[in-house]
Amino acid sequence: MNAPLGARGLVVSGLSVAAGTTTIVDDVSFTLSQGRPMTLLGASGSGKSLVAHAIMGSLPPGLTASGAIHLDGADLFAADDRPDTRWGRTIALLPQEPWLALDPTMRIGAQVMEVHRHLHGARPAEARRRGLSDLAEVGLADRADAYPFALSGGMCQRAAIAIAHAAGAGLLIADEPTKGLDAVLRDGVVARLRREVEQGRLLLTITHDIAVAKALGGMIGVMLDGRLVEFGPAAEVLERPRHDYARALIAADPSHWRAPSLPAPTDVVVQGHKLAKSFGGRELFSGLDISVRRGEVIAITGPSGCGKTTIGNLLLGLAAPDAGGVERSRGVAPQRFQKLYQDPPAAFAPHQTLRRGLEHLLKLHRLPWRQAEEAMERLALAPVLLDRRPGEVSGGELQRFAILRALLLDPVFLFADEATSRLDPVSQQDVVAILIDAVRNRGLALLIVTHEIALAERVASRVIRIGSDLPLAGGGDA
Amino acid sequence: MGRLLLPRVLQAGLVILVVGVLCFVLVRALPGDAAMRIAAGRYGPDANITEAAENVRRELGLDRPLLVQLGGSLGQLLRLDLGHSVVTGLPITKELRIQLGATLWLAGSALVLTILIGPAVGLAAGLRSGGFADRVSLGGAVILRSLPPFVLGLLLILLFAMNLGWFPPAGYGTWRDLALPALTLALGLAAISSRVTRDSVAGVMRAPYFTFARLKGLPPAVVVRRHVLRNAAIPVIAYLGLQAIYLIEGVVVVETLFGIPGIGHALVHAVIARDVPMVQGTALVMGLLFVVITAAVDLICHWLDPRPKRA
Amino acid sequence: MTLSDVTLIPVARQHWLTPSRAFGLGLLALLALFSLLGPVLLGHDPAAQNFAASLAQPGRDYLLGADHYGRSMLVRLAHGARLSFGMALLTVVTAAVPGVLFGLLAAWRGGVLERVLDFVATVLLALPGLLLVLILLAFAPGTFGPLYLGLALTLWIEFYRMTRATAATVLKQPHIEAARLLGFGSGYILRCYVLPEIRPILMTLTAFGMATAIIAISTLSAISVGLQPPTPELGAMIVELLPYYDEAPFHVLMPALLIVLLVLGLQLTARGEVR
Repeated sequence: MNAPLGARGLVVSGLSVAAGTTTIVDDVSFTLSQGRPMTLLGASGSGKSLVAHAIMGSLPPGLTASGAIHLDGADLFAADDRPDTRWGRTIALLPQEPWLALDPTMRIGAQVMEVHRHLHGARPAEARRRGLSDLAEVGLADRADAYPFALSGGMCQRAAIAIAHAAGAGLLIADEPTKGLDAVLRDGVVARLRREVEQGRLLLTITHDIAVAKALGGMIGVMLDGRLVEFGPAAEVLERPRHDYARALIAADPSHWRAPSLPAPTDVVVQGHKLAKSFGGRELFSGLDISVRRGEVIAITGPSGCGKTTIGNLLLGLAAPDAGGVERSRGVAPQRFQKLYQDPPAAFAPHQTLRRGLEHLLKLHRLPWRQAEEAMERLALAPVLLDRRPGEVSGGELQRFAILRALLLDPVFLFADEATSRLDPVSQQDVVAILIDAVRNRGLALLIVTHEIALAERVASRVIRIGSDLPLAGGGDA
Repeated sequence: MGRLLLPRVLQAGLVILVVGVLCFVLVRALPGDAAMRIAAGRYGPDANITEAAENVRRELGLDRPLLVQLGGSLGQLLRLDLGHSVVTGLPITKELRIQLGATLWLAGSALVLTILIGPAVGLAAGLRSGGFADRVSLGGAVILRSLPPFVLGLLLILLFAMNLGWFPPAGYGTWRDLALPALTLALGLAAISSRVTRDSVAGVMRAPYFTFARLKGLPPAVVVRRHVLRNAAIPVIAYLGLQAIYLIEGVVVVETLFGIPGIGHALVHAVIARDVPMVQGTALVMGLLFVVITAAVDLICHWLDPRPKRA
Repeated sequence: MTLSDVTLIPVARQHWLTPSRAFGLGLLALLALFSLLGPVLLGHDPAAQNFAASLAQPGRDYLLGADHYGRSMLVRLAHGARLSFGMALLTVVTAAVPGVLFGLLAAWRGGVLERVLDFVATVLLALPGLLLVLILLAFAPGTFGPLYLGLALTLWIEFYRMTRATAATVLKQPHIEAARLLGFGSGYILRCYVLPEIRPILMTLTAFGMATAIIAISTLSAISVGLQPPTPELGAMIVELLPYYDEAPFHVLMPALLIVLLVLGLQLTARGEVR
C-alpha cells in the first residue's frame, strides 16, 4: 500500500476560478508528469494557492472552478465526481505550516495510523505496524508517541509526508512547504520533496521562494494576477524569463542583485561598547563592540532567536544592555534615530487612516503637508492610499509608508529589523533600493537585521554574523 | 497534579478568610449586645446565657486587640468549629450535613441534565453553523439567558405545576419534587454551554487541522469522532468553571423559590434572621463547593489537553 | 486551511451597528423612555391605594389593571423600570470608573500596584458574587446599600481585567514603540491608540454589568432579602402578586416580562452579533 501508485500525469487546461462574477484565476493550463516536479511561483494574492485547491477539489465555499483537470485520464470536474473520494488515496496535500495542520491533542503515531485504519480499513495491529513503518521512513520512528507541540517545524513537515505516504497518493501538492522555516530547515524540506519525486510521485509545489523553485528543478510556472504568465523548464525560466513580471521576479532574487555603490562613511552616529545581553537565562552575546557611521550599511545575520534584533534595540535605547554602554552622537535629536519593523501592519495603529497618522506626525514636528506629498511621489505611493487603514494596503506599500514616515524626520540612523522578510521578492527589492538611496543621498546610517545571507552580502558594507556557533535552538519552530 | 491544584487550595483558604472576616465584623456590627449573641452562637441553647455572655465578654475582652480576636475566630473556623444556630440552637455542622445532601442532589441532577442538553444541542448547531438547528438553538439560548433563574423557575411552576399539574410546585423528597428546580438550573446552564459548544465546534471546523484531517482522506464521521470532539470539548469544559458561579448562585435562588431544605435556602433564611453563625457556615460550604467544582474542571481540562499550559 | 490568496476572496465589512445591536438599543431606548416619562406623565403615586379597584383587570381606569391594593400597575411598572435602570446604572458606573482607571494604571505601570490589585480581585472572586452580596445583606437586609456595595465590588473586577488586558496588548505592539520613536508622548498614545481599543469593550461590559445588576437586584428582592414592598421593585412585585395568580395571572407576568425585556435589550446591545 505504501508503494507509490504511480500517477502518470496531471493535465490542467483552461482552469479558471471565480468568486461570483469576479474571475480571480484566469485560464491556467499546464501539465505535470513523472520525474518532473512543477513549481508555481508568485506573490501572495496571485492565485497560485487557489490553483492547488482547485486541483484538490477543496476551494472555499463561494468559489467555483471551471475548465478541465485530468489526472491519469480521469476527469476531475466530471458531473458525478466527489473530490473527497480522492483525498489521500490519489491526491495528498502537504499543508503549509504543518505544525498547525496536525491535531494538537493527538499523538503523531495515531495521526498516521488512523489513515491505515479508517481510510484503508486495516485492523488495529496492522494499522499500527504500517504507521510505524511510515514514520520510520521519514526518520521519525522514535517520535510516534510525541504530540505535535513537542516536534520542530521540520519534523511536523515530515510527519505530514508520512501521512501522505500512509494514504498512498500518487500526486503530492505542497502548499508553501517552507513558510516559516529558516534556511537550514528549508534545504531539508526541499531535499525531502526531491526524494518524493525520485520515488515516482507527482509533485506540485506552491511557493514564493525562488530558491525553492531552483532547488527542485523540473518545471516552473510564474503567476501574476490570476494568470500563468510564464511556464517552462526550470533552467530556461530562471536563465531567460520571457515575461516582464517573471523577469522582474527572478531579477529580484538577492543573488542576482548588483552591489550598490556607497559613499565613503563619515562620522560615527552610534556605538556600543562591550554589550552583553541574556534572555531567559541564556546569554545571547557578550563583549560585543559595534559602531555605525553615516553613509554605511551594516547587516547583522544569524539564526532566529540569536539576539540580532536585540542589538538594534540596544542601539536605539529600546532595551537596556546587561553590561556595556551605548553612546549616540551628541546634539542629534532623539527622533532622528528610527526603526522599520518586520510586520508592516503591526507598525501602524490599526484604526487610524494613513492620512490621520501622517497629519498628526507632521503637526507634532511642525512640518508642512507638502513635504509628505512630495515624499509619497518619490516613493511611488498613490494618494488614494492615504484614506485607507493599514490593513487595507499591501505589505510593500505599507513598508514604504513606514520608510516615508521615518524619512520625514530626517534620520541619521535607521534600524531595519527584518523589514523585507514578509514582502514578495519584487517589493523587497524596491524597499531595499529606497533605503540604499537614502544612505547615498542623505548620509543615513543603515543597520539591517536579516536571516537572508544573500541579501546581507549584496547590500552591506560590513556583515556581522552572530550566534553561528550556537545550536539552532528553536530556529523556525513556530 | 499538586501544582495544578495549588491555586484551588489557596482559593479555598481565601473563601475561609473572606467569610470568616465578614462574619466577624458582622457579629460586632449588629445592634444589641455582641457578647450575648456570640455566647448564644457558641454554646447553644442549653448554656446559662447570661453567665456564658459574661465569659465571652471576659474572654474576648474589650482590652484585647481586634486582630487577636479575629485570629481566634478564624482558628475556630479552621477547626471546623462552627458553633450553634442562634435560631434553632442546633450545632451548625449537624444542620449543614443534612442540608448539604439536598443541595448536592439538586446541583448534581442539574449538572447531569445540563450535560445531556447543552453540548448535544451545541454540537448539532456547530456542525452546521448557520443551519436550522443553529438558528433555533440560538433563539432559545438568547431568550433563556434573558430569564433570571427565579423568573424561569416561576414560569416553570406556573406552567407545569399550576396549569398542567404534572409536578408539585414546591417540596422535597421524591424525584418529582426535584424535577422542576433541576430543570430550571439546567435550562439556564444549557443555554450558555450550548452556545459555547457551538462556537467551539465551529472554531475547530475552521482550524487547519480539521481541513487537513479531511484532506488526508478520513471520512467526515471519523474526523468528527477523532478530531472534533476532544478539541471542541476543551473550551466547553473550561467554561464549566465559569458556569460554576451560575450554578452556585442559581442553587441559592432555586432552593429558596422551590422550598428545598438545602444550604442555599438556609443561607437566605439565616440572612433574614441575622443568624450569623448560620450565615457563616452556609456561605462557607457554598464557597467551598464552588472551589471543589472548579478544581474538578481544572483536572478534566488537564487530562483532555496534553499541551503545556502557559503561565 | 490558510489560503495565501485569501485577499482575493471578497468579504463583507463588519459594521458596529449590527441588526441585533440596533434592536437591543431600540428596545432599551423604549424602556428608558417608559421609565423616565412614565412616572412624570402618569402623575400617580405608585403607592396610592384604591381598594375598590383591587386586582382590576386592564381597562379604561387602569390601563394595565391594578394590584391587590388597587395600585395602578402601569404606574408601578414605570417606577419599577426606573428603579431597576437607575440602580443598575449607578452600580455599573461605580464599578466602571475605578475598574478602567486601575486597569489603565496597571497596564501602564505594572509593579506593586498591579500585584495589589490582582490580589484584591482574587480575594473578591474566591466567592461567587451573589454569596458576597448575601453576606453583606446580613448587615442591613432590605436596603440598597449592601446590594450596591456588593455588586460594585464584584463588577469592577471585570472592568479592571479587561481594560488591563486590552491596554497591555496594545502597549506591547510595535506601533506603540514606533510612535515613541517618532516623538509622540504618552498622552497621545493613550488618547489615539489605547482608548479607541478600549471603548468597544467598555460598551459590552457596561451592558453585561447592568444585566447582572438588574438580575441580582430583582432576584434578591424576590427571595425577600433585597428591597422590600411597598417599594415598586419588579422582583418584589412578582412575589407580592403571586398569591393572586389564579385571579390575575397577567398581573404576575407583567413585571417578569419587563425584567426579561430589560435583560434582553442589554444582552443584545452587549454583543455586536447574536451568539
